[in-house]
Amino acid sequence: MPPRSVRVGVQSPFPICYSVAVTTIEGFPEDLARLDVDARRAIVDLDASLYPVEALYGAAYVFIDRCYVLLDRPAPQKLRLVLTPKSLDGGEPAVRALVGELANELVSAAYRHQIAQENRARIEAVTMQAIAGAMGPPTLDDLEDFDFTDEAFEDPLGIALSWEEKYAKKAAPDAAPGEDAPEEEPA
Amino acid sequence: MRELRFHRDLYRGECVDAAVQLYARYATLTTREEDAHWVVCVEASAPEREERIGNELANYALGLTVRDGGPR
Amino acid sequence: MTAGSLVALRDRLDRASPAFFRFRRLGPDRTLVTNLEGRWLVLSDADFEAYVTGAVARSSALYERLSDANFLRASWSEAKARDMIAKRKTFLGYGPNLHVFVVTLRCNETCVYCHASRADMDATHTDMTPEIAEKAVDLAFMSTSPTITLEFQGGEPLVRFDLVKHIIEYAEAKNETAKKTVELTMVSNLSLMDDDKLAYLLDHRVQICTSIDGPKDLHDKQRKLPSYSAYDAATRWIATINEAYAARGLDPTLYHVEALVTVTRAALERPKELVDTYAALGCRAMFLRPIDPFGFAGKTAKLVEYPRADYLRFYAEATDHILELNRGGTQILERYAAILLTKILRGEDPNFLDLRSPAGAGVSMLAYSYDGGVYTCDEGRMLAAQGDDTFRLGDVFTSTYRDLVGHPTVRAMVIASNLDSQPDCVDCTYNPYCGIQTTHNHKTQGSIFGRMRESSVCAVHKGIQDYLFGKLADGDPHVLEAFERWNTIRPREHFLHAPDDG
Repeated sequence: MPPRSVRVGVQSPFPICYSVAVTTIEGFPEDLARLDVDARRAIVDLDASLYPVEALYGAAYVFIDRCYVLLDRPAPQKLRLVLTPKSLDGGEPAVRALVGELANELVSAAYRHQIAQENRARIEAVTMQAIAGAMGPPTLDDLEDFDFTDEAFEDPLGIALSWEEKYAKKAAPDAAPGEDAPEEEPA
Repeated sequence: MRELRFHRDLYRGECVDAAVQLYARYATLTTREEDAHWVVCVEASAPEREERIGNELANYALGLTVRDGGPR
Repeated sequence: MTAGSLVALRDRLDRASPAFFRFRRLGPDRTLVTNLEGRWLVLSDADFEAYVTGAVARSSALYERLSDANFLRASWSEAKARDMIAKRKTFLGYGPNLHVFVVTLRCNETCVYCHASRADMDATHTDMTPEIAEKAVDLAFMSTSPTITLEFQGGEPLVRFDLVKHIIEYAEAKNETAKKTVELTMVSNLSLMDDDKLAYLLDHRVQICTSIDGPKDLHDKQRKLPSYSAYDAATRWIATINEAYAARGLDPTLYHVEALVTVTRAALERPKELVDTYAALGCRAMFLRPIDPFGFAGKTAKLVEYPRADYLRFYAEATDHILELNRGGTQILERYAAILLTKILRGEDPNFLDLRSPAGAGVSMLAYSYDGGVYTCDEGRMLAAQGDDTFRLGDVFTSTYRDLVGHPTVRAMVIASNLDSQPDCVDCTYNPYCGIQTTHNHKTQGSIFGRMRESSVCAVHKGIQDYLFGKLADGDPHVLEAFERWNTIRPREHFLHAPDDG
């Protein structure tokens, strides 16, 4: 079926600069993807329950060398990608190809996200072994250059606390009132 | 003028700020906050320039947001 | 049973008795199953159905086959799986083994698909300096790998033979204290070879590798020298070098010039001629590599590219012919097949860096460009020559060894090329044997992860493994005997510069 031209008011994330000359893209349902002819950009709407936001980022990022990419959430259960090709070569067929590639990349990214969660332990173990095996132990020069002032790390077991800090806190409930109680601002 | 709207669920505020700082020398950029969006207005000497700067700014903000793992 | 489908059996599937497995239909009445550690079986439809529905009698021969190969939960051995996985991943414990030196971009040959982004012969600014070369050797010797290979590439490395000699002698001196096992290899079109250069290379035990793209007319059409035949130049030296090896008492079945094919569209119609050319030259191995999108091939793609289905037809026809020659007593193997068969039949990984999981770029190889830039791999360097420095890790002047191999780009590539993180690969029957190329994904699909269902590399890898497993399932004793010979790893010890060589 040839693309049909319609003029509809699209709820755009960029209402001021957006035109309203919108056509469907051959092969894609109108409520999924459409072409803003005047602004030469494709608008792709996604069901947020199907694509985790990580997949949206992963897929969007793949296109930023070829397109300008804008994301939005036009409704709570909807995600929107707006792709503007940097090059105008190829016209509408090129935009259609980009939308097709985006759709494939979204599926791939969503599935990859799921796989990464399922296989996290194996992926991390192999990655650590590969990198650690290649790097080897640090030399004294490496240690000298190491930045130990990095941001604080979580310490749920209190390993990094001094003996005094650790046991002073534990002793607090039994301590005499006022002795170990934290200082508070007066109400 | 061109108006860009960055949804708070999808963009990190610091990243939008960093993009605004980077592109401020190319256009007049004004910002404001709405309930769901960070809004950036781009004013330049010509609409084409506003379009281009807005596009580049948006890509930059997206790139930083992805790098930093999404919004807080 | 519906061919290769579990759908028809879905109501009867038994989730309790089969251990983890992946499966793929190989053809009528045979299904390949592989497990986590890469053991495999080819099952008839009846056997496959019995397996997945839990209907295998304990006393049956099928039960024994499945149990021996670790496909049943009742007899599943963690130790068996663990040991084989460890054997397949021995490469993980070591750093870069392969160190590619681009000693110059200058080249006297013009190839239609040039992968190396060559420069003209007067472009002396693309020569590596001795200082850069020494710093690159220093980095190579910092590798945690006890064995390192220094590979001289270009351009054409013989254009800067003085620098090649300098690197060899610097490395030899360095190894007196470093005590590594060092291999030296040179990839050359051989047209600038002469007796003195050859004598030096033989004395210093440098392996020589070249390219032969097919019969003379095809080779000369694709690889042009200004005033004479590139084919004549290369083949003359192949013969001379092979004779020199024999004269030094080296086994000709093991010591010979290695030659690579770059399969272009023009070669697709001539698989048998191509194989016969290699056999006539006395080559014992040929590597039927499809053209890739790096270097000039990206620009000349319309002339030299082709659908991968056409390549796979070519591959099958060429390899069938190689097997026929083997049957007649001519010992020649196909390198892709040999790599995969080593994994399939021996359960070992020959550490071919583009065909393993995770891939070797950055962690098992580094490429040093003429200007001192250090890249994850040669393809990364080629992309940089075209303006894309995604795979640049640093330079020989300011980067430490640990900066390079621990670079975030390397980490990302290790994750992206881990088949257990890839859609399609994670479920693919060939997962235990396969590998993906992140640079290829980046170049062709815009992301180092890529999408394997649309990847030409994936199509080639799947197609070749379909071919090999098909042959294994056919069970022709001549073919099986050839495959056994092809997967036998015979180290070429003459080329190993051992730590105590002095």
